[in-house]
Amino acid sequence: MLCLAIVVPWIAHAAGGGGFDGVVSGIEREYHVHATRIPFMGLCSLIAGTATHGGVGGVRVAEFEHFDKAADGDELNRMVAEKLGQGWQRMIRETSRHGNEQTLIFAHREGRRMGLFILDLDGNEMDVVQVSVDPDHLKETIGKYDHHEGNDGQESD
Amino acid sequence: MKNRWMAFVLGAVALAGPALAQNVGTPLPLPPQLEKDLAAKAANVTEVTLNKDMLGFASKFMNDKDKDQAQVNQLIQGLEGIYVRDYEFDKEGEYSMEDIEKVRQAIETPDWTPMVRDRERKGAEMTDVMIKMVNGETKGMFILSAEPKELAIVLILGNIHLDQLGQLKGLSGLSALGNVEKDVKSNDKEKAKDKGGDQ
Repeated sequence: MLCLAIVVPWIAHAAGGGGFDGVVSGIEREYHVHATRIPFMGLCSLIAGTATHGGVGGVRVAEFEHFDKAADGDELNRMVAEKLGQGWQRMIRETSRHGNEQTLIFAHREGRRMGLFILDLDGNEMDVVQVSVDPDHLKETIGKYDHHEGNDGQESD
Repeated sequence: MKNRWMAFVLGAVALAGPALAQNVGTPLPLPPQLEKDLAAKAANVTEVTLNKDMLGFASKFMNDKDKDQAQVNQLIQGLEGIYVRDYEFDKEGEYSMEDIEKVRQAIETPDWTPMVRDRERKGAEMTDVMIKMVNGETKGMFILSAEPKELAIVLILGNIHLDQLGQLKGLSGLSALGNVEKDVKSNDKEKAKDKGGDQ
């Protein structure tokens, strides 16, 4: 029984997987492209989390250069929705046939936090980003910089 | 026996996961097949699906010290959802009047009252604005705007302050709201004039 419990999910994962990695490998398989992973992304994510007092975390980035295939908006959207899984909801979809442009933004409630998944294809380059945001903490951090900008503006006047 | 059932359930859940990964439907009165067909024919497609949860998330980034943002925040707080479908076509005739009728019929229920009905160029351009009234309060707005090369469908649910609606026109796909605000105001003025004339 223990073997089944381990083997069955492993088979399901091997058959396509899910989440961010599932989407990236799905794109690689479907469009015969290779993702460039950003080195030390885990460290960058940790630094972003510390700098924003937990406002931003879980940053994942994959970049596809030389994306020469024409992407069908419907197919891409379906594949991303399937791989992300239940709970993710599409907020924005923008498709332009001219210039091979696609933008998909999905969101996922994670308690107080919100998970955001962004896919952007512009010409021959596709960027895929996933990030987890705590709006309260992030607003606090943004507010600090707004305050500084405001002060700078007053000084310059 | 119990172990077998457990294994079966675990296996079924693992395998059924991808099949369950579908988007939750929106309250837009747009038949799924028609939505798919329009998206397939259009050169540019913009879809915005913001439910209460997403709107609540967006509102947290509004700066309450900024007067405009505070007003937008107040407006968003009362909303249940914003749904936009905008299709731009390369040539005329990519959608039919039957398609438009299907959308209009789906929303034409007793809950919805026509507010603006604008027809131009022998029916080639049209704008329909309908509102949902519950106990004298506006609880929804539906906009259907059809031009020869563009079709826009907007559904806003929740407490709507018509005088503040134009503030949302900066959001993606909602630029038409600025015109709707003008239409609604001119509509009100005409009604006031008519009343004055009757007296």
